[in-house]
Amino acid sequence: MSTVIETRNLERTYQDGDNIIKAVDGINLKVEKGEFTAIVGPSGSGKTTLLNLIGGLDKPTSGEVYVDGQEIGKLSDNEMINFRMQHIGFVFQAYNLIPVLTAKENVEFIMLLQKWEKAKREERSAQLLKEVGLGDRLDKKPGELSGGQQQRVAVARALASRPAFVLADEPTANLDSHSTANLLDIMARLNKEENITFVFATHDQRVIDRARRVITVEDGKIKSDITSTSV
Amino acid sequence: MRTIFKIAWRNIWRNRLRSLVVIGSIVLGIWSGIFVGAFSFGMNTQRTKSTIKNNISHLQIHHKKWAKEHKLNYWIEDPKSIENYLTNSKAVKHFSSRILINGMVASAHKTAGVQITGINPEQEAQLTDLASKIDSGNYISDKGKNSILIGEALAEKMKVKPGSKVVITFTDSEGNIISSAFKIRGFFNVTSSTLEKSMVYVRNSDLEKLLNRTESAHEFALLLNNEDQVEAFQDELQQHFPNYSVQTWKEVAPELAYADDMMSTMLYIIIGIIILALSFGIVNTMLMAVLERKKELGMLMGIGMSKTRIFLMILFETLLLSLCGGPLGVILSYASIALSHQTGIDLSFFGAGLQSLGIDSVIYPEVMTSFYFGTGGLVVVMAIISSIWPARRALKMNPVEAIRTI
Repeated sequence: MSTVIETRNLERTYQDGDNIIKAVDGINLKVEKGEFTAIVGPSGSGKTTLLNLIGGLDKPTSGEVYVDGQEIGKLSDNEMINFRMQHIGFVFQAYNLIPVLTAKENVEFIMLLQKWEKAKREERSAQLLKEVGLGDRLDKKPGELSGGQQQRVAVARALASRPAFVLADEPTANLDSHSTANLLDIMARLNKEENITFVFATHDQRVIDRARRVITVEDGKIKSDITSTSV
Repeated sequence: MRTIFKIAWRNIWRNRLRSLVVIGSIVLGIWSGIFVGAFSFGMNTQRTKSTIKNNISHLQIHHKKWAKEHKLNYWIEDPKSIENYLTNSKAVKHFSSRILINGMVASAHKTAGVQITGINPEQEAQLTDLASKIDSGNYISDKGKNSILIGEALAEKMKVKPGSKVVITFTDSEGNIISSAFKIRGFFNVTSSTLEKSMVYVRNSDLEKLLNRTESAHEFALLLNNEDQVEAFQDELQQHFPNYSVQTWKEVAPELAYADDMMSTMLYIIIGIIILALSFGIVNTMLMAVLERKKELGMLMGIGMSKTRIFLMILFETLLLSLCGGPLGVILSYASIALSHQTGIDLSFFGAGLQSLGIDSVIYPEVMTSFYFGTGGLVVVMAIISSIWPARRALKMNPVEAIRTI
């Protein structure tokens, strides 16, 4: 098994007036290929900061983040954007899709930025949307899809560029239980069948229940890290 | 690039009403600017044309010192040679010789200071519209003794009718006072009421008799077949008659030519102000569009859209918004100007006021083609400048914003 994410003595501090707040305080963490992992913790625990650092959306104050063996903390802004495009798939809580593009165009978008050929793009986007159960919704715009369907398009898009892992930030926060179950089923299946690594940041017990590894963060430190063998 | 362009174009239409309002304001702004411009140009051209036709003609020939002082004894010494030259020149359409004297005209009721203009009725009728501007009575002919034409406005003031007698008085070059009774043949009615009050027309021959002279003239006024040849023909005449001063209409009435230049400068200033105001509207709209899409832009950066692409997207959105309205505004202006140039805009409602300025009451708007291009160019420049601020603002977005929605 190969390591997809590794952090070493990761620290991120913020200046708040005269106080220095340690949002992430020396976290050492490894995520292997094919994991289905949830990072949990109350608001202000540092969970989101940790996720931002792993996702290359924020830079550490000290320590290192490795994604697929590459240290990303020292990349320039533009290199970072490029790195995210090539290596990380994102599923956000909301404002996930480009509202003026159809489902298919949304999925193709990153491939387009990566300059894939048209035929390949179309083939892959159609196939991915079919995998998330939206084979008949290719030409719908996000506004014409339900919240659950939109998140499934987001999953398809996150997978489009064959990233090292998918980072999902509260992906179920706006969904009803039926859509949540459906979305989690799809992600679990992709994880199992195609060995795609998923990392969630979540409050949602339904997500936590499905995760095979649950990392609890509190006060910027890892409080517990439990891997279950059943599920 | 094409995808960015496509997204930008669709983004504009996300808030259809807002975009339409902005585009509409650009169309209206540009249309009003150009149309007001064309209207003023039309008015100015009209004024110039009517002044040339009714009053100053294309070229005038005088005694060298005439421009400095209109003295009675600054005669053109050999009017016959000029007359022959003009008669034989192909460039000349019509000409007329005049005697110009400052004097008074008196009726039983009133006395007024006027310029007494001696004319050759036949020549004058061809050169100017005077003969056709007679409202009541008749134009003066070669027959009859001491005939005079006065302006309608002056007639009203002096309470006279066609057929009434008035006395004109002036001093000759030796200081003798000369006066003589003239019979009013008719009233002329020209666009300028100032002109109506300050000019009277008599026959050259009648004035020559009073002055004991023959074949006299202070002024030759001439119209050319082609108005573009005014300067060239001026040179030709000046070479032939070096002892006289030959002036173009621009030199005789510099304010008319100056008005043209000033008008175009003014118009560019007006258009500039309109476009500046529009650009504020566009910047405001686009800033709003950027700020309300904070999270979406953050998401785009998050998933790997580079800053250059984000910048381009907002740039395209602004450009497209402006460039939708710009050409529409120019086309609308072109169409409305072309139409109203045919039909004319009748302002007879305000006619009385305009006439005192020497303007006909029907205006034919017109504008140089360069003005359309100038305005179009300004819109493009404005669009580019006003797109930079919102686009830069979009770059300041932080991708983390998108993730921090928990």
